[in-house]
Amino acid sequence: MAITAAQALAASASDGGSTRLEVDVAPRFAAGDRIRTRNINPRGHTRLPLYLRNCVGVVAADLGVFVFPDTHAHGGDQKPQHVYSVHFSAKDVWGREGGERDTLVVDMWDDYMDPA
Amino acid sequence: MASSAHTRPLSEVEIRVKALESLLVEKGLIDLAAVDALIDKYEHKVGPRNGARVVARAWVDPAYKARLLSHGTEAIAELGYTGMQGEDMVVVENTPEVHNVLVCTLCSCYPWPTLGLPPVWYKSAPYRSRVVIDPRGVLQEFGLQLPESTEVRVWDSTSEVRYMVLPERPPGTEHLSEDELAALVTRDAMIGVTKVSA
Repeated sequence: MAITAAQALAASASDGGSTRLEVDVAPRFAAGDRIRTRNINPRGHTRLPLYLRNCVGVVAADLGVFVFPDTHAHGGDQKPQHVYSVHFSAKDVWGREGGERDTLVVDMWDDYMDPA
Repeated sequence: MASSAHTRPLSEVEIRVKALESLLVEKGLIDLAAVDALIDKYEHKVGPRNGARVVARAWVDPAYKARLLSHGTEAIAELGYTGMQGEDMVVVENTPEVHNVLVCTLCSCYPWPTLGLPPVWYKSAPYRSRVVIDPRGVLQEFGLQLPESTEVRVWDSTSEVRYMVLPERPPGTEHLSEDELAALVTRDAMIGVTKVSA
Protein backbone atom coordinates (compact mmCIF):
# COMPACT_ATOMS: atom_id res chain seq x y z
CA MET A 1 0.00 0.00 0.00
CA ALA A 2 1.44 3.36 -1.02
CA ILE A 3 1.89 5.95 1.72
CA THR A 4 -0.58 8.82 1.73
CA ALA A 5 0.16 12.54 1.45
CA ALA A 6 -0.36 12.95 5.19
CA GLN A 7 2.06 10.12 5.95
CA ALA A 8 4.68 11.52 3.55
CA LEU A 9 4.51 14.97 5.16
CA ALA A 10 4.67 13.49 8.66
CA ALA A 11 7.76 11.47 7.69
CA SER A 12 9.51 14.53 6.25
CA ALA A 13 8.82 16.48 9.45
CA SER A 14 10.11 13.75 11.77
CA ASP A 15 13.61 13.40 13.09
CA GLY A 16 13.57 9.66 12.56
CA GLY A 17 16.17 9.87 9.80
CA SER A 18 19.13 10.27 12.13
CA THR A 19 21.52 7.38 12.46
CA ARG A 20 22.80 8.72 15.80
CA LEU A 21 22.67 6.01 18.48
CA GLU A 22 22.20 6.66 22.19
CA VAL A 23 24.49 3.83 23.23
CA ASP A 24 27.61 3.83 25.35
CA VAL A 25 30.64 3.04 23.20
CA ALA A 26 34.18 3.97 24.21
CA PRO A 27 35.75 6.50 21.83
CA ARG A 28 39.13 5.51 20.35
CA PHE A 29 40.18 9.14 19.89
CA ALA A 30 39.84 12.53 21.54
CA ALA A 31 40.13 16.13 20.36
CA GLY A 32 43.78 16.96 19.64
CA ASP A 33 44.80 13.41 18.66
CA ARG A 34 46.84 12.98 15.48
CA ILE A 35 45.42 10.24 13.28
CA ARG A 36 46.23 8.51 10.01
CA THR A 37 43.34 7.36 7.84
CA ARG A 38 43.41 3.73 6.84
CA ASN A 39 44.12 2.72 3.29
CA ILE A 40 40.99 0.62 2.91
CA ASN A 41 39.43 -0.06 -0.47
CA PRO A 42 36.24 -2.02 0.16
CA ARG A 43 34.18 -3.32 -2.76
CA GLY A 44 31.02 -2.10 -1.04
CA HIS A 45 29.80 1.13 0.54
CA THR A 46 32.14 3.40 2.46
CA ARG A 47 32.11 7.04 3.54
CA LEU A 48 35.91 7.33 3.57
CA PRO A 49 36.62 9.47 0.49
CA LEU A 50 39.23 8.07 -1.90
CA TYR A 51 41.22 11.31 -1.69
CA LEU A 52 41.61 10.91 2.08
CA ARG A 53 43.11 7.45 2.37
CA ASN A 54 46.44 7.19 4.19
CA CYS A 55 46.36 10.86 5.20
CA VAL A 56 47.40 12.42 8.51
CA GLY A 57 44.94 14.70 10.31
CA VAL A 58 44.01 16.04 13.74
CA VAL A 59 40.78 15.26 15.59
CA ALA A 60 38.89 18.51 16.31
CA ALA A 61 35.69 17.21 17.93
CA ASP A 62 33.84 14.04 18.88
CA LEU A 63 30.39 14.20 17.22
CA GLY A 64 28.92 11.22 19.08
CA VAL A 65 28.02 7.62 18.30
CA PHE A 66 26.50 6.71 14.93
CA VAL A 67 25.67 3.66 12.84
CA PHE A 68 28.67 2.49 10.78
CA PRO A 69 27.52 2.78 7.15
CA ASP A 70 30.09 0.39 5.66
CA THR A 71 28.43 -2.60 7.32
CA HIS A 72 24.88 -1.31 7.77
CA ALA A 73 24.45 -0.30 4.11
CA HIS A 74 24.77 -3.97 3.17
CA GLY A 75 22.25 -5.19 5.73
CA GLY A 76 24.94 -6.01 8.29
CA ASP A 77 25.57 -4.84 11.85
CA GLN A 78 25.01 -1.27 13.00
CA LYS A 79 28.50 -1.52 14.51
CA PRO A 80 27.96 1.64 16.64
CA GLN A 81 31.05 3.84 16.89
CA HIS A 82 32.15 7.42 17.35
CA VAL A 83 32.31 9.89 14.49
CA TYR A 84 34.80 12.75 14.71
CA SER A 85 35.32 16.01 12.93
CA VAL A 86 38.90 15.74 11.63
CA HIS A 87 41.04 18.53 10.18
CA PHE A 88 43.48 17.80 7.34
CA SER A 89 45.91 20.34 5.97
CA ALA A 90 45.29 20.86 2.24
CA LYS A 91 49.07 20.73 1.78
CA ASP A 92 49.24 17.27 3.39
CA VAL A 93 46.38 15.94 1.27
CA TRP A 94 47.19 17.49 -2.12
CA GLY A 95 50.91 18.21 -1.98
CA ARG A 96 52.00 21.34 -3.82
CA GLU A 97 48.53 21.81 -5.34
CA GLY A 98 47.07 22.27 -1.86
CA GLY A 99 46.51 25.79 -0.53
CA GLU A 100 49.21 26.85 1.92
CA ARG A 101 46.76 27.84 4.68
CA ASP A 102 43.74 25.79 3.70
CA THR A 103 42.05 22.95 5.56
CA LEU A 104 39.71 20.07 4.77
CA VAL A 105 37.30 19.13 7.57
CA VAL A 106 35.82 15.67 7.20
CA ASP A 107 33.73 13.41 9.43
CA MET A 108 35.52 10.15 10.22
CA TRP A 109 34.30 6.97 11.92
CA ASP A 110 36.57 5.11 14.39
CA ASP A 111 37.08 2.29 11.87
CA TYR A 112 38.63 4.69 9.33
CA MET A 113 41.56 5.78 11.52
CA ASP A 114 44.66 4.69 13.40
CA PRO A 115 46.74 6.80 15.80
CA ALA A 116 49.54 8.65 13.96
CA MET B 1 4.47 32.65 -30.78
CA ALA B 2 2.10 30.71 -28.60
CA SER B 3 3.48 29.62 -25.24
CA SER B 4 6.25 27.15 -25.98
CA ALA B 5 6.16 25.66 -22.49
CA HIS B 6 3.52 23.19 -23.59
CA THR B 7 4.87 22.30 -26.99
CA ARG B 8 8.59 21.82 -26.47
CA PRO B 9 9.65 18.16 -26.54
CA LEU B 10 10.46 16.62 -23.17
CA SER B 11 14.09 16.02 -22.30
CA GLU B 12 15.34 12.48 -21.85
CA VAL B 13 15.39 12.87 -18.06
CA GLU B 14 11.82 14.22 -17.99
CA ILE B 15 10.62 11.28 -20.09
CA ARG B 16 12.43 8.83 -17.81
CA VAL B 17 10.95 10.43 -14.67
CA LYS B 18 7.43 10.33 -16.18
CA ALA B 19 7.86 6.67 -17.13
CA LEU B 20 9.07 5.78 -13.64
CA GLU B 21 6.28 7.75 -12.04
CA SER B 22 3.53 6.07 -14.09
CA LEU B 23 4.98 2.63 -13.35
CA LEU B 24 5.13 3.34 -9.61
CA VAL B 25 1.53 4.60 -9.66
CA GLU B 26 0.28 1.65 -11.75
CA LYS B 27 1.88 -0.80 -9.36
CA GLY B 28 0.29 1.01 -6.41
CA LEU B 29 3.68 1.83 -4.86
CA ILE B 30 3.19 5.59 -4.70
CA ASP B 31 0.22 7.89 -4.36
CA LEU B 32 0.49 10.93 -6.65
CA ALA B 33 -1.09 13.11 -3.95
CA ALA B 34 1.81 12.19 -1.63
CA VAL B 35 4.37 13.11 -4.31
CA ASP B 36 2.61 16.43 -4.94
CA ALA B 37 2.46 17.19 -1.21
CA LEU B 38 6.21 16.66 -0.84
CA ILE B 39 7.06 18.71 -3.94
CA ASP B 40 4.79 21.54 -2.73
CA LYS B 41 6.41 21.46 0.71
CA TYR B 42 10.00 21.69 -0.55
CA GLU B 43 9.21 24.14 -3.38
CA HIS B 44 7.05 26.56 -1.41
CA LYS B 45 7.38 26.07 2.34
CA VAL B 46 10.92 24.89 3.13
CA GLY B 47 13.88 26.77 1.69
CA PRO B 48 16.78 29.10 2.34
CA ARG B 49 14.49 31.78 3.82
CA ASN B 50 14.44 29.55 6.93
CA GLY B 51 18.23 29.56 7.15
CA ALA B 52 18.24 33.33 6.57
CA ARG B 53 16.05 33.78 9.67
CA VAL B 54 18.53 31.73 11.69
CA VAL B 55 21.45 33.86 10.44
CA ALA B 56 19.67 37.17 11.10
CA ARG B 57 18.78 36.09 14.64
CA ALA B 58 22.42 35.15 15.29
CA TRP B 59 23.55 38.57 14.00
CA VAL B 60 21.29 40.49 16.39
CA ASP B 61 21.35 38.21 19.43
CA PRO B 62 24.82 37.23 20.77
CA ALA B 63 23.39 34.67 23.21
CA TYR B 64 21.50 32.98 20.36
CA LYS B 65 24.64 33.02 18.22
CA ALA B 66 26.59 31.29 21.00
CA ARG B 67 23.90 28.58 21.27
CA LEU B 68 23.81 28.22 17.47
CA LEU B 69 27.56 27.60 17.25
CA SER B 70 27.70 25.23 20.23
CA HIS B 71 24.34 23.36 19.86
CA GLY B 72 23.23 23.91 16.27
CA THR B 73 20.31 21.46 16.10
CA GLU B 74 18.65 22.80 19.27
CA ALA B 75 19.21 26.48 18.40
CA ILE B 76 17.72 25.99 14.92
CA ALA B 77 14.77 24.11 16.46
CA GLU B 78 14.09 27.20 18.64
CA LEU B 79 12.97 28.93 15.42
CA GLY B 80 10.88 25.90 14.45
CA TYR B 81 13.11 24.39 11.77
CA THR B 82 13.38 20.64 12.31
CA GLY B 83 12.86 17.47 10.34
CA MET B 84 14.46 15.22 7.80
CA GLN B 85 18.10 16.02 6.89
CA GLY B 86 18.33 18.46 9.80
CA GLU B 87 18.56 15.99 12.67
CA ASP B 88 22.22 16.70 13.50
CA MET B 89 23.20 20.25 12.61
CA VAL B 90 26.58 21.93 13.01
CA VAL B 91 26.85 25.65 12.18
CA VAL B 92 30.27 27.08 11.29
CA GLU B 93 31.07 30.78 11.45
CA ASN B 94 32.81 32.76 8.72
CA THR B 95 35.22 35.43 9.96
CA PRO B 96 37.97 37.52 8.35
CA GLU B 97 40.40 34.76 9.48
CA VAL B 98 38.46 31.64 8.41
CA HIS B 99 36.15 31.16 5.43
CA ASN B 100 34.07 27.96 5.51
CA VAL B 101 32.56 26.34 2.41
CA LEU B 102 30.41 23.19 2.22
CA VAL B 103 30.39 20.22 -0.11
CA CYS B 104 29.36 16.58 -0.16
CA THR B 105 31.90 14.83 -2.37
CA LEU B 106 30.14 11.47 -1.96
CA CYS B 107 26.64 12.58 -3.03
CA SER B 108 24.55 15.67 -2.20
CA CYS B 109 24.07 15.87 1.61
CA TYR B 110 22.49 19.21 2.49
CA PRO B 111 20.53 20.68 5.45
CA TRP B 112 16.94 20.60 4.11
CA PRO B 113 15.02 22.28 6.98
CA THR B 114 17.18 25.44 6.81
CA LEU B 115 18.32 25.56 3.16
CA GLY B 116 15.67 23.54 1.29
CA LEU B 117 16.75 21.26 -1.53
CA PRO B 118 20.29 21.66 -2.93
CA PRO B 119 20.89 23.63 -6.13
CA VAL B 120 21.88 21.63 -9.22
CA TRP B 121 25.49 22.92 -9.19
CA TYR B 122 25.94 21.69 -5.60
CA LYS B 123 25.13 18.15 -6.78
CA SER B 124 27.28 18.38 -9.92
CA ALA B 125 30.48 16.38 -10.26
CA PRO B 126 32.59 19.44 -11.21
CA TYR B 127 31.70 21.37 -8.01
CA ARG B 128 32.08 18.31 -5.78
CA SER B 129 35.44 17.24 -7.20
CA ARG B 130 36.99 20.69 -7.62
CA VAL B 131 36.05 22.53 -4.44
CA VAL B 132 38.09 20.15 -2.28
CA ILE B 133 41.31 20.54 -4.27
CA ASP B 134 40.96 24.12 -5.58
CA PRO B 135 38.51 25.94 -3.29
CA ARG B 136 39.92 29.38 -4.07
CA GLY B 137 39.56 28.80 -7.81
CA VAL B 138 35.94 27.65 -7.39
CA LEU B 139 35.11 30.59 -5.08
CA GLN B 140 36.52 32.99 -7.65
CA GLU B 141 34.09 31.58 -10.21
CA PHE B 142 31.31 32.54 -7.77
CA GLY B 143 32.83 36.04 -7.68
CA LEU B 144 34.53 35.67 -4.31
CA GLN B 145 38.22 36.54 -4.08
CA LEU B 146 39.63 35.86 -0.61
CA PRO B 147 42.87 37.34 0.72
CA GLU B 148 45.79 34.91 1.01
CA SER B 149 45.75 35.51 4.77
CA THR B 150 42.26 33.95 5.11
CA GLU B 151 42.20 30.21 5.81
CA VAL B 152 39.72 28.38 3.57
CA ARG B 153 38.04 25.46 5.34
CA VAL B 154 36.24 22.99 3.10
CA TRP B 155 33.70 20.84 4.98
CA ASP B 156 33.06 17.52 3.21
CA SER B 157 29.79 16.11 4.67
CA THR B 158 30.58 12.41 4.77
CA SER B 159 28.47 11.54 7.84
CA GLU B 160 24.87 12.17 8.95
CA VAL B 161 25.85 15.57 10.37
CA ARG B 162 24.57 18.44 8.22
CA TYR B 163 26.46 21.72 8.05
CA MET B 164 25.43 25.32 7.51
CA VAL B 165 27.61 28.43 7.28
CA LEU B 166 26.95 31.49 9.42
CA PRO B 167 28.13 34.24 7.05
CA GLU B 168 29.76 37.49 8.20
CA ARG B 169 27.37 40.35 8.83
CA PRO B 170 28.12 42.96 6.16
CA PRO B 171 29.44 46.32 7.34
CA GLY B 172 27.02 49.24 7.33
CA THR B 173 24.02 47.16 8.45
CA GLU B 174 23.98 48.25 12.10
CA HIS B 175 20.69 50.17 11.60
CA LEU B 176 18.81 47.27 9.96
CA SER B 177 16.10 45.26 11.70
CA GLU B 178 16.23 41.47 12.02
CA ASP B 179 13.73 41.13 9.14
CA GLU B 180 15.74 43.47 6.93
CA LEU B 181 18.91 41.54 7.72
CA ALA B 182 17.24 38.21 6.89
CA ALA B 183 16.30 39.62 3.47
CA LEU B 184 20.01 40.15 2.69
CA VAL B 185 21.06 36.57 3.43
CA THR B 186 21.39 34.31 0.40
CA ARG B 187 21.45 30.55 0.01
CA ASP B 188 24.92 30.68 -1.53
CA ALA B 189 26.31 32.59 1.47
CA MET B 190 25.01 29.84 3.77
CA ILE B 191 26.82 27.24 1.62
CA GLY B 192 29.88 29.49 1.79
CA VAL B 193 30.46 30.16 -1.91
CA THR B 194 29.68 33.87 -1.55
CA LYS B 195 29.51 36.53 1.15
CA VAL B 196 26.44 38.52 2.14
CA SER B 197 26.50 42.05 0.78
CA ALA B 198 24.43 44.98 2.01
